[in-house]
Amino acid sequence: MRRHTRLTSVVIGGIAVAATLAACAPGTGQSDAPDPQSTEISTDISGVGDVTLTVWDQEVRGAQNEQIEQLNAAFEEKYPNVSIDRVSQAFDDLNTTLRLALTDKDAPDVVQANNGRSTMGAFVAADQLRPLDDYADAYGWFDRYAESILQYSTYSEDATVFGEGDLYGLPQVGEVVGVFYSKSKLEGLGLEVPADWAAFDRALAAARAAGEIPIQLGNIEQWPAGHVFGPLQGDSVAPDEITKLGLGNPGASWTTPENEKAAAALQAWVDNGYFNEGANGTDYDAAWQALAAGDGVFLLGGSWLTADLADAMGDDLGFFIPETDAGTLATTGGTGLPFTITSAAENTDVAAAYIDFLTNDAAMEVLAETGNLPVNRTAELAPESGVLADVYTAFESVTQDGSLLPYLDYATPTFGDTLGQSLQDLLDGRTTPQQFTEALEADYTEFLESNG
Amino acid sequence: MRVSRFEVSANYLILAVFALIVLGPLGLILSLALGPQSASVGREGRVFHWENFADAWQIGRFGQYMMTSVTVAVIVVVTSVTVSILAGYALGTMRFRGATFFFYLFLVGIMVPTEAFLVPLYFDLRMLGLTNTLWGVALPQIAMSIAFGTYWMRTYFRSASRSMMDAARLDGAGSMRILWQILVPNARPAVTTLVLLVFLWTWNEFLIPLVMSPSGSVRTAPLGLAFFQGQYTQGTALLAAGAVMVALPVVVLYIFLQRHFLRGMLEGVSPH
Amino acid sequence: MADVATVGRGTGARSGRSATRHPVRSRRGWVPYAYLAPALLLYALFLLVPLVRAGQFSFFEWDGLGASTFVGFENYLSVFSDERLRSAFGHAFVLVFFYAILPLVIGLALAAILTRAKVKGIGFFRTVIFLPQVIAMVVVAVTWRQIYAPTGPLNGFLRLIGLDGLTTAWLGDYTWTLPAVGLIGTWVSTGLVTVLLMAGMSRVPLDLYEAARLDGAGPIREFFALTLPSIRGEIAVALTLTIVAALKTFDLVYVTTGGGPGTSTTVPSYEVYRRAFELGEVGTATAIGIVLTILVFAITAAVNRIGDRS
Repeated sequence: MRRHTRLTSVVIGGIAVAATLAACAPGTGQSDAPDPQSTEISTDISGVGDVTLTVWDQEVRGAQNEQIEQLNAAFEEKYPNVSIDRVSQAFDDLNTTLRLALTDKDAPDVVQANNGRSTMGAFVAADQLRPLDDYADAYGWFDRYAESILQYSTYSEDATVFGEGDLYGLPQVGEVVGVFYSKSKLEGLGLEVPADWAAFDRALAAARAAGEIPIQLGNIEQWPAGHVFGPLQGDSVAPDEITKLGLGNPGASWTTPENEKAAAALQAWVDNGYFNEGANGTDYDAAWQALAAGDGVFLLGGSWLTADLADAMGDDLGFFIPETDAGTLATTGGTGLPFTITSAAENTDVAAAYIDFLTNDAAMEVLAETGNLPVNRTAELAPESGVLADVYTAFESVTQDGSLLPYLDYATPTFGDTLGQSLQDLLDGRTTPQQFTEALEADYTEFLESNG
Repeated sequence: MRVSRFEVSANYLILAVFALIVLGPLGLILSLALGPQSASVGREGRVFHWENFADAWQIGRFGQYMMTSVTVAVIVVVTSVTVSILAGYALGTMRFRGATFFFYLFLVGIMVPTEAFLVPLYFDLRMLGLTNTLWGVALPQIAMSIAFGTYWMRTYFRSASRSMMDAARLDGAGSMRILWQILVPNARPAVTTLVLLVFLWTWNEFLIPLVMSPSGSVRTAPLGLAFFQGQYTQGTALLAAGAVMVALPVVVLYIFLQRHFLRGMLEGVSPH
Repeated sequence: MADVATVGRGTGARSGRSATRHPVRSRRGWVPYAYLAPALLLYALFLLVPLVRAGQFSFFEWDGLGASTFVGFENYLSVFSDERLRSAFGHAFVLVFFYAILPLVIGLALAAILTRAKVKGIGFFRTVIFLPQVIAMVVVAVTWRQIYAPTGPLNGFLRLIGLDGLTTAWLGDYTWTLPAVGLIGTWVSTGLVTVLLMAGMSRVPLDLYEAARLDGAGPIREFFALTLPSIRGEIAVALTLTIVAALKTFDLVYVTTGGGPGTSTTVPSYEVYRRAFELGEVGTATAIGIVLTILVFAITAAVNRIGDRS
């Protein structure tokens, strides 16, 4: 009996402990985000003493890695008192870890945060990023960048509105999604570079008829197909409509005949056998490596692949963007991931100086020299020939005369997942174009309701 | 027992097939690791590209990650084995109120899936500033290892020679002396097995270091490998080399000390 | 985590059933508690308390950043009503077949054959077949991702033997990806199960077999009438270990498919991680964790009951 009471008391004690804990609901006692730094800012950081700046980037591809290493070294040389602790990881991994990292006491100072609502938007809403308007005024960033570029790093203070409000980050590179192709393959098929989407469709059919793989696609990561759908959507849907959908702002709809048409066009490519077999199970990197190895004619992808592909294919590589029916250029693109300053950054002056250094005119030259597509001064830095000349021209004409459409996954916190899964479903023929647009519409409207 | 020659040959065939199924994938990763990194390197015509290991070591920062893995493993092994011996000693050789209750309490810990308690633990440790530290990565693993370790040592001490303990007690030895001078030296095989198992689990653990060190400052070798997969975009040779390096320490230990591993796996859970 | 890890840190080991001796009662009552204290303290602080906290978190809606709201059982309701989560649990049960049932069938056949006819090299074979258990699951996953690639060795092998029709993108096919991931589990588990069963069978006294032979029992009857009942305990252990490993699958899915294609390979553990740390649905994540824990306890209890009924 005594034993019994003893055990009972242990159990009761346990419950008491649990009850005490229960009084401490999750979220209470968590330290609030630090208050915004003092308004005294400075662009001179030579006198700040020894500082270590922790930077998280995703510049892992050949040319990207090269430029950031060069610029980091130059920055450390210019400011010997600053040392940069660089953590680089793949885009996917950065997205999975950044959320945890920012809430941490040990948060990095400067991070590359994807523009969309799932990342930058969420961090702005949680006060984890520092608004940069004061530094932008001090450094003249508003003059350096076109407004159409900066809007993708701009949120209202509560992050309900995307595209207006405070500036939170600066991108280094421009990005444009288009079609890479093998010149020799195209020539072997007796084809010209397709001028518009209709011609592109004919080229695909011809490549298929000749026994080639028309388009290489590696979609195991789920997002790559978005860079095939995006340009196709640009062919049939009005740009301002896509921008609203892409930024998760109200006033548009996915369930329109035009969006369905774009989805149907993508599915038709699958049905016609225009993709490599098992695209849903192929690695993104395996796809471009296959094109480089002489397997396949076209690959729809972003300008960030240029350096890797050119390295492997040399002069055989070309790049173009098909015109829409209306005779304009409309394709997915924008900027690389913007560099932002976290609220936890200890020395925002140093962080701002670093971001300024990564994006100033000299940095644009480094970007161009290393085979990247600088976001500013694109026209004057364009190389004379080669695939990079194609890419620069394409970016320049899309931004000047056409429409650069936002990445669709910016739209809502869950849109990346929804879009990726829906695209895999669509490619697999498990859903119809109508069901595809309905799935996306559901995510979009649910977000609009919750976003008030 | 007489068995036909046909049956014996068939058995050899079955053994060979299953051994091949196991070794095939391992052979594949090893051959990829020794293959050329790129087409241009491949044209040099060498068969074995040992430089892949050095390159992966450097590009994938495996040196740093292995060091972290070793440090975490040492912390977890030393702490959890020491306190498990103490607790197993109490539960295995002493009578006291609540002994059964505590025994079952530790058994709970053997069964609980990591993902059930890791989420709140992360947020609480973050509040204490323990995330992104070696301790943040080690402590949850220490707790899990203690659950098994206490169970394991209790089982051993229950079967330990009672007469030896009684004799020592008559000589006036205290319980501490009996434990460290008589029981533990005799328990060397059991302790070795425990050390190896805890090392193996800690080295191979993925979820805990993934969650507990979001900044990547305490990134262990398996995590380094998973991230290297996305980070390195130029083909598979270096990835495979990294995979081989991550697996190697444990595989080498297993080959030399396999009877400990097998005994641990089998007896730790044996119904007998 | 290779499921060997679950042998200890995360599975039902069973209490020893050896005859209980009566340990000596210490003269000083506090001594046992002093020995127990360090282990208990660490274990309670970093496992039990967080587990209780998980139960508590599961009644709140919290994004991991700001304030939380009490929502009662809503998170649990969503575990059962959210289609994505329901299918995640469904996938876990499919994995149970590949991690536990299939290895058990293979293991029984292998162990029976090997125990019947003593062939040379069993020691070497045991070493080899057990090897996948000690290799980090990430390494296993990286390896199999290469094998399953559309232009990888598996499809190459199928083409070589003329089975071109069977080739597919193993990690991008709605029908085949879950079984393909499951087969990796089979590859890992079979060694553990076989070695466990072999140990069990070797303990069956030989004269029992001889008696059975004298009664004219063939190998099949011998297996079902004699061998199988004698190793019920080992079967229960093997099932417990492998089933729990299947339910806890995380790194394998994280590295091979990330839940795709579509949502066809999402599993509960992956959802815990995704919701807690990527989507900021901490309450739902902990509720999934609690449901998973209850499931593990229930299955362990059920399997061991079957094992004990001998």
